[in-house]
Amino acid sequence: MKRILCFVTVMSMLAACSPRARQATPAGKLPDIWPDYVGVTVPETVAPLDFTLPDADALDVLLTAPDGTTLRSGGRTATRFSEKSWRALLQRSAGDSLTVTVFGRFGGAWQRFEPFRIHVSKDAIDYGLTFRLIEPGYQIYSHMGVYERELASYRQRALLENTQFDGCVNCHASRRDDPGSWTLHIRGSHGATLLRLDGEIKAYDTKTDSTLGFCVYPYWHPSGRYIAYSTNNTRQGFHMQADKLIEVFDLDSDIQVYDIARNKLITTPQVKQPDIWETFPVFSADGRTLYFTAAAKVEIPGELPQSRYNLMKVDFDPETGTIGTDVELLVDAASQGRSLCFPRPSYDGKYLLYTLCDYGTFPIWHHEADLWLLDLETGETRPLDEVNSDDTESFHNWSSNSRWVVFSSRRDDGLFTRLYIAHIDENGRAGKPFLLPQRDPWHYYDDLFRSYNVPEFVTGPVPFESIRAQQAINASERVSFDYR
Amino acid sequence: MSRPQKIAAVVMTVLTGIAIYGFFAFRYPYHLHFQEQYQLFEWTGAYFAQVAGVPGGLADWLGRCLTQFFYYAPLGAALTALLLCGVQLLTWAVSARRSLMLYALSFLPALLLAAFCCDENALLGPVVAVALSLGAAALCRRVVPQKGRRLLELLLVPVLYLACGPVCLLFVLVSVCQEFAGGEGKPWLFAAGMLAVAAACPLVASRLFPYPLHRLVEGVHYYRFHNILPGMLYAAVLAALLVVAVSCLKVRKPLRSLVPAVILYVVLLAAGTFLTLRTADPVKEEWMRYDFMVRMQMWNRIMTAADRRNPDNPKTVSCLNLALARTGRLPDSQFTYFQNGPEGLLPTYEGDFTNPVSTGEIYWHLGMVNTAQRYAFEAQEAIPDFQKSARFYRRLAETNLVNGDTTVAMKYLNVLQHTTFYRAWARETAALVSEGTLFEKRPELARARTLRLREHDFLFSETEMDSMLGLLNVEHPENTMAVDYLMAWCLLRKDLNRFAECLPMVTASPLPQAYQEALLLLWFFTHDGYDGLPASIAPGNVQRLNRFLADVDAGKSRAAMEAVYGKTYWFYYVYRYQNRPE
Repeated sequence: MKRILCFVTVMSMLAACSPRARQATPAGKLPDIWPDYVGVTVPETVAPLDFTLPDADALDVLLTAPDGTTLRSGGRTATRFSEKSWRALLQRSAGDSLTVTVFGRFGGAWQRFEPFRIHVSKDAIDYGLTFRLIEPGYQIYSHMGVYERELASYRQRALLENTQFDGCVNCHASRRDDPGSWTLHIRGSHGATLLRLDGEIKAYDTKTDSTLGFCVYPYWHPSGRYIAYSTNNTRQGFHMQADKLIEVFDLDSDIQVYDIARNKLITTPQVKQPDIWETFPVFSADGRTLYFTAAAKVEIPGELPQSRYNLMKVDFDPETGTIGTDVELLVDAASQGRSLCFPRPSYDGKYLLYTLCDYGTFPIWHHEADLWLLDLETGETRPLDEVNSDDTESFHNWSSNSRWVVFSSRRDDGLFTRLYIAHIDENGRAGKPFLLPQRDPWHYYDDLFRSYNVPEFVTGPVPFESIRAQQAINASERVSFDYR
Repeated sequence: MSRPQKIAAVVMTVLTGIAIYGFFAFRYPYHLHFQEQYQLFEWTGAYFAQVAGVPGGLADWLGRCLTQFFYYAPLGAALTALLLCGVQLLTWAVSARRSLMLYALSFLPALLLAAFCCDENALLGPVVAVALSLGAAALCRRVVPQKGRRLLELLLVPVLYLACGPVCLLFVLVSVCQEFAGGEGKPWLFAAGMLAVAAACPLVASRLFPYPLHRLVEGVHYYRFHNILPGMLYAAVLAALLVVAVSCLKVRKPLRSLVPAVILYVVLLAAGTFLTLRTADPVKEEWMRYDFMVRMQMWNRIMTAADRRNPDNPKTVSCLNLALARTGRLPDSQFTYFQNGPEGLLPTYEGDFTNPVSTGEIYWHLGMVNTAQRYAFEAQEAIPDFQKSARFYRRLAETNLVNGDTTVAMKYLNVLQHTTFYRAWARETAALVSEGTLFEKRPELARARTLRLREHDFLFSETEMDSMLGLLNVEHPENTMAVDYLMAWCLLRKDLNRFAECLPMVTASPLPQAYQEALLLLWFFTHDGYDGLPASIAPGNVQRLNRFLADVDAGKSRAAMEAVYGKTYWFYYVYRYQNRPE
């Protein structure tokens, strides 16, 4: 009934209000808008989903909330919805849908496309995202940085850029999307691992005589006391064939846990086996399990296509900071000829999202890489077809309430990674994902030659004092780790 | 100044302009092309905002705007000459006194800046910054009410800091000098105020811009490497200040004669020329020249240049070898030019912004499209001041088009359409893509698409170059350039066994002279006599080899051997590439 009412409202408005609408001929199909926001699910507090109709000379768009409230925008290139009106419209549509009617002018004649819906979830989304922006390059890096983006608006600010020091801004992670607890790795002549905790920024030298190298891929323990790291001896190779470009692989990798309170690295032989590559450690939601991926060592580069990682788990005792001894196989991807990367458990403990590709541990360069969801309660795992595309889906993270995931995808052009956000309902079903909105997205993304990398939700603005971080990086002092 | 003095002044400026133009247009033109290729100047508001949005940004944007015209070296030389003459005239304009001696002295900063411009990592932005600072000082001088002038000067300091960077200190000190020279009302207080504002600028900027304080004090973008202080630039700034300071001195009996001023001018011009020539690097200029000719595919001009002066720098030699290969002369003529190891054929990858440039061109012409793409991308990423390059964008558009990544290629083409000199090519290419006639109308792209590897995939390895070159020919037998490079690779590495293994891939008949010499040498090493010698070896070569060996045994000097056998593979084998890795 509600939908019929909405439809009647839309049709009566079209008939009554818009001379264009009266003149427009029905196109008889959905509009081919970019970004593809047709049928996406969004939170109440997201910036306006401006879009363009690429082949049209002009467009005119009417949004209608279930209560009949409307919002109109258009222009020659893209919509430009008022942020305030958009926000009000989303609030009126929460738990239901916005109806979007698009008119396009083609060669002087207006066409009306079939209306589509934007579903508005009542599930809240976090304040924003943090991510790295970097050229999708080979070995050398140019301008890069870690940035914060507010999701309710288009505001983006740099947290740290490599104009502030000589080096590369590497992996960063917050504790369960908490902006106050942060770790960030810096490579280069001023290499360090920065740790921001309780308002203090410290620069660490994470390499010890007893470990393979620097701490690389981080993941915080829910208590905030520990950070699990992999330590990797990573190399790159460059394909000669057209459809592949780069291969990133490890010659060696182990897992270790940093005990912040005791300033000690913890490890155990079970997660640093000489004939096994272990990487991407993450803690379970309750902090009592350490998940990681592991592969049997192969000869590099000859056997690289045979390097396949499985999902493993081992107990972790947060009281004593002890890693268990029984490593258990959770998902056997290798036996299916696939490789599992980037395990990310939801914070409610129900699911684990991961990337599956044909081989290796760096799926961003694998066009076949897709997201898969593991139900931690039933052990069932399935491809997340609702969000996957024909091109690469790679790194991902959960919102603090485990209802949204952000993931990187190369679906738009095959090279430049963009961020998509998808809703996951209580049954683990995903809504259609939407591209991170931008004002005039066509020009924004066309002009952007950097890829989004390592996206994370944050529950509030990151209180990361850029100048203090810069001073800590440029100073020579480093805090050393002890080893246990 | 008297009329003859004014005429002399004009002559001095014109002469200097001509000298600067002549130097950059005729002696150092490829340096200008080099500068141009390491930037991507776009006529867009976003680009302006990005460049001008940091301290020194406006001068930087103007410098980049001028640098884009270096695409045509004569135009670049003319603009450089005009800019430097402008600096001289502005130095003169801010001088407190008018005399021909001071006019002659006003050339000092411009001549130092000319030397600065010879450094391949010096950017044009700071030269514009000097001109803007002096120009601002000259304009302020025209403001008559002292209070108004001082207020304006104080207000201009942060504005100029934003526009010109720390070079605006020149404006500060020149203004202070002028106020002292004027001698009216509390110049010390004014000086203290100006210096305090100037000192506060970088401190405030360090809270607003993502740069450490030392960079905001030294200049964010005056030099391609931010950790190197451009001494010549600061010497020019000091010189400008010196000229103004000298002009403020009270002279009891100013010299009126032309002669001392002309002598001073000649001395300065000679010193400037000496300094410029010392800063200029002929070896780099030669490589830049060869790289430019490779970029423009001027194969015959490369060989003409090599005939005039045999290049000996590996990077330059690699350009020559590419020209030989592209004209089908590599097998026959390779050893008629200086060779010293495989570095002169396929230089080892180095992760900087210069080395992969011409090497990437070699891979492009060989059909190793992915490698050409990587080298272009890496060279661009390695540009130390984080600029992009129109040349590399064009190459990346090409490699992506060849690989079928049209959406990515269009991104590069869209940016190039906002440039001055790459716009036409980008528009035409984009139109051809839309029409679907790209590979019909662009034979070079069609060639690369044909020659690239499709069946064999492996990871690029410099240690397995011979395998990669061989596979190029196996997949595409028409790619004879790959075979030429393969054979040259084996010969330059003195790997005669591998050379012999690969020899069946050579279809040329008769066998090229260098190949005959190498095969004969291998025969000599592996056989007791010449019975059964392959028919592809001309009998005359046996006698020549015997003579060569006899001369080696006789202990003839290297120079004597080079005079007779310098163009043979035998000479290369015995006397060149001595430090090859075992």
